[in-house]
Amino acid sequence: MPAFPHYDTPAIDALNGQAVAMLKCMAARGYTRQEPSVLQPADIFLDRSGEEIRRRTFTLTDPSGRELCLRPDLTIPICKMAVDSGAPFPQRISYNGLAFRHQPNEPHRPTQFFQAGAELLGLEDRAAGEIEIMSLAVEALRAAGLNDFDLKVGDLALFGALVDALDVPAQWRARLKRHFWRAGYFEALLNRLTHGAATDTQRLLGSLGGLSATESRAAIEGLMDMVADAPQGARTREEIVERLMEQAADAAALRLDPKITRVITSLLNISGTAQSALGEIRMLTKNARIKLDAPLAAMEQRLSALKALGIDPARVSFAARFGRNMEYYTGFVFELWSQDAEGRVQVAGGGRYDTLLEALGANRAISAVGCAIRTERVLAARRFAGGA
Amino acid sequence: MAPLTLAVPSKGRLQEQVQEYFADAGAGLKQSAGARGYRATLIGLADIEVMLLSASEIATSLISGDVHLGVTGEDLLREQAPELAGRIHLIKPLGFGFANVAVAVPQYWIDVSTMADLDDVCAAFAQKHRRRLRIATKYLQLTRSFFAHMGISDYRIVESAGATEGAPAAGTAEAIVDITTTGATLAANGLKTLEDGTILESQAQLAASLTADWDAPARAAAEALLARLGARERAKTSQILRVRLDQHADKILAALAKEAGASVLSRPTDPTGEYAILCPRQKLMDAIASLRKQGCDAPATTQDADYVFDTANPLYASLAAVLR
Repeated sequence: MPAFPHYDTPAIDALNGQAVAMLKCMAARGYTRQEPSVLQPADIFLDRSGEEIRRRTFTLTDPSGRELCLRPDLTIPICKMAVDSGAPFPQRISYNGLAFRHQPNEPHRPTQFFQAGAELLGLEDRAAGEIEIMSLAVEALRAAGLNDFDLKVGDLALFGALVDALDVPAQWRARLKRHFWRAGYFEALLNRLTHGAATDTQRLLGSLGGLSATESRAAIEGLMDMVADAPQGARTREEIVERLMEQAADAAALRLDPKITRVITSLLNISGTAQSALGEIRMLTKNARIKLDAPLAAMEQRLSALKALGIDPARVSFAARFGRNMEYYTGFVFELWSQDAEGRVQVAGGGRYDTLLEALGANRAISAVGCAIRTERVLAARRFAGGA
Repeated sequence: MAPLTLAVPSKGRLQEQVQEYFADAGAGLKQSAGARGYRATLIGLADIEVMLLSASEIATSLISGDVHLGVTGEDLLREQAPELAGRIHLIKPLGFGFANVAVAVPQYWIDVSTMADLDDVCAAFAQKHRRRLRIATKYLQLTRSFFAHMGISDYRIVESAGATEGAPAAGTAEAIVDITTTGATLAANGLKTLEDGTILESQAQLAASLTADWDAPARAAAEALLARLGARERAKTSQILRVRLDQHADKILAALAKEAGASVLSRPTDPTGEYAILCPRQKLMDAIASLRKQGCDAPATTQDADYVFDTANPLYASLAAVLR
């Protein structure tokens, strides 16, 4: 694909035809189409998605100085609209439109592409919602005329449940969960927690080790008084004292037990067909006496649902490491892969993102799961398969 | 227009240091008449036109290929061209203009001393304050790639035009990424660096643009300049050792090369004459010890040189290798 795609009549007709078929498939299941504005206030993307998305977002300034952007995806504006509308949940929303991404270092990837997708917001039955969206992605692809694809599934909740079951300080749990999907970085983090050298903060905590809670607090407050003139950086004194007090309480366990490290590493190394991976995880958790019943049962249900859709289990793979490189996913994740003239190509993906709506202004956490389909890639895969 | 353009800083301490550096190699800057101080030539190198620009303009001009060579801070080059390969060739670090690009947070944050702490705080901050922690900087690219490398994603950058160190006190950002030399400016603003928060140890670099038009006359001019700079550098870091060697000369020279990195400059024409041996200044005493160990008891004298020209021109050779 060129950086600035031009669609001729056959191409745009084929893309529109696919989109209509997919939207119709979604409408039949109760999804209402919405079309957010192409030009968006930059803040909601930059504040929610962070610099990784910003690096790939086209931003511009309007004549009054307001920072705007071309939407890098449709999920965030759709969810923002769903929250702002005040409509009752659950909401089922579909969309089809252009998204825009700067492609640094990859001049041959398109800077704009069509995305069709669906968001299921506020459904309390989480397992049912995940199966609904995954099935919808499969059926939408089939409606668009693509039948040859593999699935890749993962579940960030599996790793989360494993870490929750471990006897480690709360801050480490949070840190491990935040980073488990970053290959390389995570291993370094694990190594640092297991063997790492002491930092200034740890030495400070070490010196508090023998003190009672009241004495520790007094010592920390004393240190804070010495830097009272420095800028606070929007953090309150209490926020800082609390974090240190928590760490001081954990100071006794400043190193991660190598046995725990081994369990984590073994889990992350599991990959293969989803069926065999499930067996391996069961074995591992049994040996380590850790209960992961709920996420394992959910995975089992999803596999049955795929079988019911007529998908060959051999074409469903699982990798414990598989979490999408998109920061808002929080649980189940999946991708659909096919083949075009240039090789393997991801045609669709999706998953659960339970924290996004609250971050966009909802007054409570709202269950959310969605999928997005890359329309041009679907067309390329159909052409390669001889179906278009 | 001369075949080769060289951009050097037009103001500040860096300007003085760069001009001293060229003058020391016998290529002092001579202002061109009527150019209002924006153009100059190098004494003895007529094929080079010197342009005086700001340090950041030099980085831009090198990346766009508007100048062939330039001297500027490595921080500016790496910020403007995150991937130097294919665009910029760093010919030589010049040993001045040292500055670190580093992450700094309020001293008030006594619970933060590493990037891992900052990561925890960023995540907690996003949850508690419902917005991302802001980092003020003019180094957007360096900050993004370093934070990504360190696994931090819950933050956002606030672009800063100047006086970045004042942003946390002004309340426009919580932390910063900026250059620091002694840390005094940071401390004066109530900020501190992190143990593993140094993004780049920068210094002034003599750099070549790989996208400039490198025709034969430009290459010849660069070769002449780099021969001169290389010869001066070699002269400053070496001494010439003069000594008479007996019939075991080859064995002694081999030992000198191995133990002191010394090489032969010239051999005597008659057997009683002295060898001239080039020896790294810091290895001189090793060379003397090696001579004596090999049984050479002839008197040895040393000499400084202004230049050591060799048939090899390593600075140019490495540039020529990457020029298309």
